[in-house]
Amino acid sequence: MLSGYRRLGSVANWLKWTINLLILSALIAACGVIYLQSVSNKAVIFNCSSELYDRNDNAQDDGKFYLLVDVLISASNAQINYRYFHLDGTSAGMLLMQGEVQSMKPNSMTYNVSVKTKTESEDVAKKDWPEHMKYLSYISSLHFSESGTHNLSIQILDSDASQDYAVVLFQPSNTVCGCRIVNSRI
Amino acid sequence: MQLGGCWFDRDRGLLVEQSRDESWHLPRAELQVLSLLVEHQGKLVSKHVLKTGDGAHPPLTDTSVARAVFMLRSFLGPQYESLIETVKGQGYLLHTSYSQLPRHLHHTGLLSFSWWGVSLLFGLMLAVSLFYISRIDHSIPTEPLMSTELPLESGQHIRLYLYANSKTNNTLLFELGERLGQGLIACRRSDWADVYTSLSHDKQLFYITLRGHKLGQSVIRNIKIADLRRPKEFIDAQWLQEVGICG
Repeated sequence: MLSGYRRLGSVANWLKWTINLLILSALIAACGVIYLQSVSNKAVIFNCSSELYDRNDNAQDDGKFYLLVDVLISASNAQINYRYFHLDGTSAGMLLMQGEVQSMKPNSMTYNVSVKTKTESEDVAKKDWPEHMKYLSYISSLHFSESGTHNLSIQILDSDASQDYAVVLFQPSNTVCGCRIVNSRI
Repeated sequence: MQLGGCWFDRDRGLLVEQSRDESWHLPRAELQVLSLLVEHQGKLVSKHVLKTGDGAHPPLTDTSVARAVFMLRSFLGPQYESLIETVKGQGYLLHTSYSQLPRHLHHTGLLSFSWWGVSLLFGLMLAVSLFYISRIDHSIPTEPLMSTELPLESGQHIRLYLYANSKTNNTLLFELGERLGQGLIACRRSDWADVYTSLSHDKQLFYITLRGHKLGQSVIRNIKIADLRRPKEFIDAQWLQEVGICG
């Protein structure tokens, strides 16, 4: 009788360990799934419009342009599209950067992006590009020739989702820019 | 009778370890305890019964019984010591044979499985912990190089922030911040509440972001200035007036 109880106790002990291991394995798997979801769910779309002033010795020669920047970050993909316009609405140039999100830092609300490809508009002569576009083209080309990628960070300095705005700092160019939040899950 | 690797001769009060050919003449306590356990083999024998024995001798103490069990187990050796099982709070039990011992007393099977399981689980947890620790975000938000409050004639205040990617060589940025601040103070009133400024890393472009409220709506204005002149000025009072910096 006692021997029977002991055998039963042994089975119960085995079951206890099996269940413990199963529960802990399930917990670890759940942590992994939550982590993967939290990484893949970070999608953000900004739209930033700017007035560009290229100042010259003669004020009559000053260049005035509009710039629209669309920042799209979805899962691990990133795309930044710079569109330049003359005051009459005609295109003054376009620059598209595409790459991958290397990391996302929630504490500083920063996306680190590695730009892999760059497309520049060819319908506008380079000499007529706004100075801002020349600067971006030069800096990115420099980095591409050095390392094959152009690494940049996009940090949200201040934001108010209820008012749909965010003040963003682009590095390494050290550019502050106020943007409209089109979509954000940051 | 056979007890593991020993032969117990009850009549002579002798326990013989057969592999070593070693015999032990059992003292009274050990003989009483083992005799009772053998008599009730496979059954629980209470401490009280073990202490009192057949009543022919004075009863043993708890310590004597515990010590006797300890000595008997030692003599049986590590392989067979578990033949005498302690039933907590009740007494002792002598198993009929080694094969009938509960599996958890064999030091194999489940016990080893548990250790393997625990070790595996511990390793797994450690790996997961290290992975999460490596992913901990140590970044801190970028602080402005300088922030200042600009009082307007209307009593309103505009906060001006200067951002730089280095703490040195920011003379031009401070100059431009000063000039912009004066231009904003000259406004009697303004729609702007916060003004963010920065200079590109090569000092070729000056960026101004103005944020405020107009008719209850959040408004943002970005100005990017490239100055091709020598020396660069980027902004002056007249130009600020021309672009309507007051909003």
